[in-house]
Amino acid sequence: MAKVRALKCKECGAEYKVEPLHVCEFCFGPLEIVYDYEEIKKNISREKIEKGPKSLWRYVDLLPVENPTVGLSAGFTPLTKAENLGKLLGLNNLYIKDDSVNHPTLSFKDRVVAVALSKAKEFGFDTAACASTGNLANSVAAHAASASMKCYVFIPSNLETNKIIGSLVFNPTVVAVDGNYDDVNRLSSEIANEFGWAFVNINVRPFYSEGSKTLAYEVAEQLGWRIPDVVVAPLASGSLYTKIWKGFNELREVGLVDRNLPRMLGAQAEGCSPIYQAFKEGRDFIKPVKPNTIAKSIAIGNPADGPYAVKVAKESRGDIQIATDEEVIEGIKLLAKTEGIFTETAGGTTIAVLKKFVEAGLIGKDEVVVAYITGNGYKTMEVLEGKLNKLIHIKPSLIEFKQKVTGKK
Amino acid sequence: MNAMKLKLIYPQEKIKEPILSKLCKSFEVDINIRKANVQEKVGWLELELTGKEEEIEKAIQWLSQQGIDVSPIEGQVFVE
Ligand SMILES: Cc1ncc(COP(=O)(O)O)c(C=O)c1O
Ligand SMILES: [Zn+2]
Repeated sequence: MAKVRALKCKECGAEYKVEPLHVCEFCFGPLEIVYDYEEIKKNISREKIEKGPKSLWRYVDLLPVENPTVGLSAGFTPLTKAENLGKLLGLNNLYIKDDSVNHPTLSFKDRVVAVALSKAKEFGFDTAACASTGNLANSVAAHAASASMKCYVFIPSNLETNKIIGSLVFNPTVVAVDGNYDDVNRLSSEIANEFGWAFVNINVRPFYSEGSKTLAYEVAEQLGWRIPDVVVAPLASGSLYTKIWKGFNELREVGLVDRNLPRMLGAQAEGCSPIYQAFKEGRDFIKPVKPNTIAKSIAIGNPADGPYAVKVAKESRGDIQIATDEEVIEGIKLLAKTEGIFTETAGGTTIAVLKKFVEAGLIGKDEVVVAYITGNGYKTMEVLEGKLNKLIHIKPSLIEFKQKVTGKK
Repeated sequence: MNAMKLKLIYPQEKIKEPILSKLCKSFEVDINIRKANVQEKVGWLELELTGKEEEIEKAIQWLSQQGIDVSPIEGQVFVE
């Protein structure tokens, strides 16, 4: 009767019991959750979902958690029809999935962490950990606090503290490691192996990444139970992008929707584009790069799910594009001034790349297009310094106001 | 005994060197290769390194000094 059957290696197919494991013992491939869709199909319906909680947990039947206890308000973010931006780009059916207002830390990471830590609690972990200073760390620290779990966050020691205040405020133990990102990364893997902690993006990663599927479920429901024609989403590790695809596939599998699958368009920053490069060169493996871009939340030089993202781009008849730092900033400004949504650099990348795809003629004007905005601009304000209109300074005088502001006498 | 699952990426100029054989002679570690793909311009392999903690750390350091990119199998999990 269980909805989750096993963990399965994405490479060799070896199956494992449902445990906090993430790598195949034989071939070192990543493990993924396998569901019993026949069983789920008997239990699930549009009506049941619509009566569920106003959070991602309305889709609990398609998630690897029995009893959600962490992140109960995550998800169910707005899907806005972008009339102004659509008009400007020449798209009649453009929508923004707005995870810049996700609860509680304003990025899509609240989805994955809600699932990871709910599962970690079921496994009996009392400590949550991650290696990150950005959105992921914010979300893990916040959810751990509300779940009364101990929390460790690992960062390289040369970082400015102001980047980590959004985590420190939740009172985790922050460990600054002497060394670069790679050293932090390797050390975290060793720690995850040895200590009994739930490292959200290491040993509970198979559960964690499933949380992103809800970005597909919600969009389909919000469109009146239909799958969009085109999706645009950012790529860092490649997890979000591949799981949105999995989400749409599952909705068809369990009979909640019956349309064709979307073309998956991916966005990377030019200064960190290993997945784009592999896709363009037709490689099935990723050559790591050293990140050099303002889009830091998506700057992963050696992306764990890169090869699978390349596969999804091909399989869905999609594509992957890049944006320069300048274009990323223009993307942020464009979304803000047309739709009143302030996103961070990842969202700026998505909008910049959406624009390129439209200009290249890859999107039809009547197609239903969804752009995933995954983070909030108030977190990366510094990138806009010097890039916005200047203030107009005046004395408190009506005459000066007329002269300097309205230009009328 | 500790074990570490690693992905090694070789730049073109290192592909023809017997790096792993030197590694095993210089440090008290064992290697067990699980997957590999060596092409003209770049090569990678995935292996498990077993040995004492200090020996593993020294071995990783040595590999990096040789110009090999060493990362945990999980890929890069660190996000800024
Ligand atoms: C705002 C934002 N968007 C997108 C991503 C991409 O996520 P993934 O690593 O799943 O590709 C991240 C995190 O890495 C992020 O912080
Ligand atoms: Zn395997």
